[in-house]
Amino acid sequence: MIALRRLGAMVATLVISSFVIFGGMYAAPGDPVSFLIGNPENMTPERIAAVRAEYHLDLSFISQYLIWAKDLLQGDFGSSMVYQQPVTDLLGTRLPVTLSLVTYAAVLFIVIGVFLGVLSALRRGTAVDALITGVTTFATSIPNFVVAVVLISVFAVKLRWFAVSGPGEGFFGRIHHLTLPAIALALGAIAVVSRVTRQTMVEQQTLDHVEAARSYGLSSRKTVLRHVLRNSLGPVITMCGLILAGMLAGTVVVESVFGLNGIGSLLVEAINTHDFPVVQAILLYMVIAYMVVTILVDLIYPLLDARVLAGSES
Amino acid sequence: MTASPKRFTAGTALCAAGALVIAGCGDTGNSAGSPALDQVKLVDSTPAAAGQLDQATWFMTKEPRSLDLDADAANGQSDLIMANVCERLLQLQPDLSLKPGLAEKYAWKDKTSLVFTIRQGVKFHDGTPMTADDVLWSLQRHSADGASESDEYVNVTGIEKTGPNEVTVRFKQPDAVFLEAIAGDAGVVLSRKGVEAQGKKFGTPDGTDACTGPLMLKQWQSGTQIVLAKAPGYWNQDKASKTDQITFKWGSDDVIVNSLVTGAATGSYLENLSSATQLASGSVTTVSQGPDTRVWSLMVTERGGLKDVRLRKALAMAIDREGVSKAALAGLGQPWKEPVGSGAWGYEKAKFQAAYDAMTGLPAKPQQADLDAAKKLVQEVGETQPIVVASDGSPVRNVIANALVDAAQKIGLKATITQIPTQQYDISDEATRLTADLFSDDYFISKNDPVGFYKNGASNSTVQWLLNDPAYDTLVDQARAALDDGERAAVAIDLAKRWADAMPWIPVVQSPSTVALSTKVTGVPASGSYRYYPWAADLGTKGA
Repeated sequence: MIALRRLGAMVATLVISSFVIFGGMYAAPGDPVSFLIGNPENMTPERIAAVRAEYHLDLSFISQYLIWAKDLLQGDFGSSMVYQQPVTDLLGTRLPVTLSLVTYAAVLFIVIGVFLGVLSALRRGTAVDALITGVTTFATSIPNFVVAVVLISVFAVKLRWFAVSGPGEGFFGRIHHLTLPAIALALGAIAVVSRVTRQTMVEQQTLDHVEAARSYGLSSRKTVLRHVLRNSLGPVITMCGLILAGMLAGTVVVESVFGLNGIGSLLVEAINTHDFPVVQAILLYMVIAYMVVTILVDLIYPLLDARVLAGSES
Repeated sequence: MTASPKRFTAGTALCAAGALVIAGCGDTGNSAGSPALDQVKLVDSTPAAAGQLDQATWFMTKEPRSLDLDADAANGQSDLIMANVCERLLQLQPDLSLKPGLAEKYAWKDKTSLVFTIRQGVKFHDGTPMTADDVLWSLQRHSADGASESDEYVNVTGIEKTGPNEVTVRFKQPDAVFLEAIAGDAGVVLSRKGVEAQGKKFGTPDGTDACTGPLMLKQWQSGTQIVLAKAPGYWNQDKASKTDQITFKWGSDDVIVNSLVTGAATGSYLENLSSATQLASGSVTTVSQGPDTRVWSLMVTERGGLKDVRLRKALAMAIDREGVSKAALAGLGQPWKEPVGSGAWGYEKAKFQAAYDAMTGLPAKPQQADLDAAKKLVQEVGETQPIVVASDGSPVRNVIANALVDAAQKIGLKATITQIPTQQYDISDEATRLTADLFSDDYFISKNDPVGFYKNGASNSTVQWLLNDPAYDTLVDQARAALDDGERAAVAIDLAKRWADAMPWIPVVQSPSTVALSTKVTGVPASGSYRYYPWAADLGTKGA
């Protein structure tokens, strides 16, 4: 029943967001016709009228939306007005690049972020804690395109350890090519995750049940793992989920600096050229990606929290 | 396609990022004071290659949208690639002259019929022979309504096969410009069977080419790369490709520079000239420049602030072209007096050069005398309304807009800049046009003939809004009809004078075509001919 309601809410969200996105594109300044007729000397009134009719641009907003929605219900995302290729083909070649980049970045910021957070919570007040806090504070304050540019100039141009552009071929090629972009994308997130981890762990350490566990003589390692870390993971996972969802929609700058043909670059180009079908499809992908991530977080949550687990069993 | 101003989509933030990359790595050198760049010297071609190159990686700014050159979606990147794959009836040369291509002969039978004799023994990439029927079908395809080249066929009344190896094009009036168009995309010969068999796939990543040329389309991996390979059965073995395989990739300006600096790229025709300074001073790349038709101008709208031609001329006298070239094009542009570059002089070069040199009132760097003359013009006009110049915040437009404001202030005019978002910076839109008196844009034509540009001064033009003169319109028709080069040059020079007198655009700087190459390779043309000439076939290694 809850699942059904949740599904209904998702569908409603999709319908509303598709309508809002379409409306936004429709209201945006500029005219797609000037991009559809490549040559300004061909811009005769007759040609403009013909192109408008061909792409349904002469119809009202609602009619255009309904045509698009009807095709979508039949599984047809339409064809890119600019590329003359099916939108699914365009996304099909670019999604893997963006998804592998985000996955790589997610592994980095979760593993490193949590590790640093735990370390600095356990060494609270020491030089290690101060160092980690200082470095991560500094890292959050640098915009990711600056990080990207510095990484390229040092590790790709000067040291030649990594490629300057492209997503790479095969699994190891991909890892090699995406290392710098993934670091650039993950750096700010590492800082946030480690701070959240540290904060929640510090709070947990002072709670009664931890004190109790410690007073029973439970080893320090077990106390940390079973009581402190486990109970801290809830907020950390929520935070990671939010960051991940944001990343799925926020790769454009890093993609552009590293010459990756991903969803982000495609979206910006499509917005600039008023390529409605492509913009619609990408923004819907982003909405769906956000939903999937939040559902995943909701599914992981009970596995960690003994109270939630117990609640669902009873 | 007769002309297309490039639309700016590159983000300014990334340009800044590009500068940072270089600043961050000392061994690539800095842009200031490079001796190679003190003076812009234009050459038609880089030195000929000696040896065969097995693999090249070529960079461009974006992915082509279609490889079907008749499609509206086809853009400059499509041309750059397909110039190597699809030959035309006539062939544009690196020195911008015309030579027979897939037509071994062409002749005007009378003033309104042009006869092409089709070359024998030519095979398409799929191995089938090229016939006069293919030529006929191809020309009809280019002329069809909605095809991007159909505007070149306005005067054509019929295309027929008049012999086993002969195709005749008939015109309602003589049209000299048509031959130049035939060396461009309007004269590509396609295999009818090859195109029809592919249906909707033709021109997309799922399709193949249906042409003959020194290289053939091997693969278009959408979003990743396009690969061309040396065509095995190419008819002209003297001009067989010196490159076995060339892979096209795309990225932002800084990606292109980094790829060239690290050797990941073999070469690139640069759109953003400021990248060139970083490449010219390094030891791993060379930069060459050649004549092109591209010029940055300030296009005057019908808004009214500059309705009086004397104001336009005064501004043209006072604007600092040299300063713009330095600040916006890294010193690699040239202050320019015409709205079309020296690459337009595909014939009668000396005459055009002399006429250009004789032009006055458009100084590279305004002297006191120029400013005084400009001030006098402004005073003659009397009361004026403030002038508005548009910019979209992109580096070149910003520099030009500021140069105009500076010029206006120096001669007693008031001018302000209005910012228009890049997406909205569309001069063909009347509502946008009415928000400013001047829009800067770079404009190039695909034909190497000034007539190809100055026809835009006709009253039915869609790219200028001030010149409306029946006498000019008659001259445009005359120029198109002048089959003799000398005669056409004379009319073209007259048109240029009338255009300059009315000054619907204020020319600022010429942006030559610029190619960056790895120091290991050479051979490609430096001139704007790379849009239609099979340039990659000339790319090879330096040493034997």
